[in-house]
Amino acid sequence: MLRAVIGFTTIALLTGVALAHHGWGSYDAAKPVTVAGPVVTSKFENPHATVTVRGSDKVWTVILAPPSRMSSRGASDKVIAVGNNISAYGYPSTVEKDEMRAERITVDGKTYEMR
Amino acid sequence: MHDQAPAIFIALEQSEFAAAIRQSTWLYPLANVGHIVSLVFFAGAVAVLDIRLLGGLAATEPGPLLARARTVAVAALAGMAATGFILFSAEASHLARNPVLQLKAGLIAAGLLNVALYEFGAKWAVEGLKPGAVMPARARIAGAVSLVTWVAVAACGRSIAYF
Repeated sequence: MLRAVIGFTTIALLTGVALAHHGWGSYDAAKPVTVAGPVVTSKFENPHATVTVRGSDKVWTVILAPPSRMSSRGASDKVIAVGNNISAYGYPSTVEKDEMRAERITVDGKTYEMR
Repeated sequence: MHDQAPAIFIALEQSEFAAAIRQSTWLYPLANVGHIVSLVFFAGAVAVLDIRLLGGLAATEPGPLLARARTVAVAALAGMAATGFILFSAEASHLARNPVLQLKAGLIAAGLLNVALYEFGAKWAVEGLKPGAVMPARARIAGAVSLVTWVAVAACGRSIAYF
C-alpha cells in the first residue's frame, strides 16, 4: 500500500515537473512576430510589465518581464512609457486574442532582453 | 478564456489592495517566496501525518504525533492561504478563468473535505492507539487520499503559470 502510494506520488511529481518545463506553453514559439509602434498604455507592474502597442495591423497587448527584472536590465518604466516607439519581438498567445509575449524589446535603438 | 470572469474577481483585481500588490516592487515576489516556504512546511507536516496514518513511523504513538504535525500543517496552510490570496488578487480576473487554478481549487476542497471526514469519522479510532498498533482502514484511506490530493494540489499550483 505504502509502496503504491509512493510510486503514484513520484509519477505525480514528475508529471508536475514536466508540465512546469513548458514555460512558454500558451505562446506559439513557431510563429514569432515583431510588433512595432507607439506605446498606447503602459503598466510597470507585477507579475509582468505589460504594454499595449499600436502596431501596423492592430493594437497588441505585449507581455514583458517582471518589473524587478526589467529594472535590472535597464528597462525602467520610462523606457516603456506611453508614446515611446517600441519594437517587440516575441510569440503570439494561443489563448488570448491580440496578445504576445516579448522575448526582447527595442526602444530608442537599445535592445532589452526580457528572458 | 475570452469569457468575462465573475464580477467579484474583477472587483478584487480592480481593488486598491490588488493595485498596491502589483505596484509594489517587493510585495508580489515576497508573497511568491512566502507561498513556497509555507508549502515546504506544509509538505513536511503532511508527510508525517500521512505516513503515520498509512502505518509508517510505527514505533510512535499515533495520537500525539498526529496532533503536533497537525498544528504545523494548519499554520502552514494559513500561510499558504494568505500568500495565495495576495498572488491571486493581483490577477484575479485572469486566474479565475484558468483551468488549472480551477482544478487546484477543487482539489483543495477535496483535501479539506478529507480532513473533515477524518476529524469527525476516523480520529476517534486512532487517538488511543499504542505504538505498533495496526492502523484502522479508515485512517489509512484518509492518509492515502491526503497524500494524493495534496501532491496533486502542489503540481497544479506549479502549473498555473503555464496555462
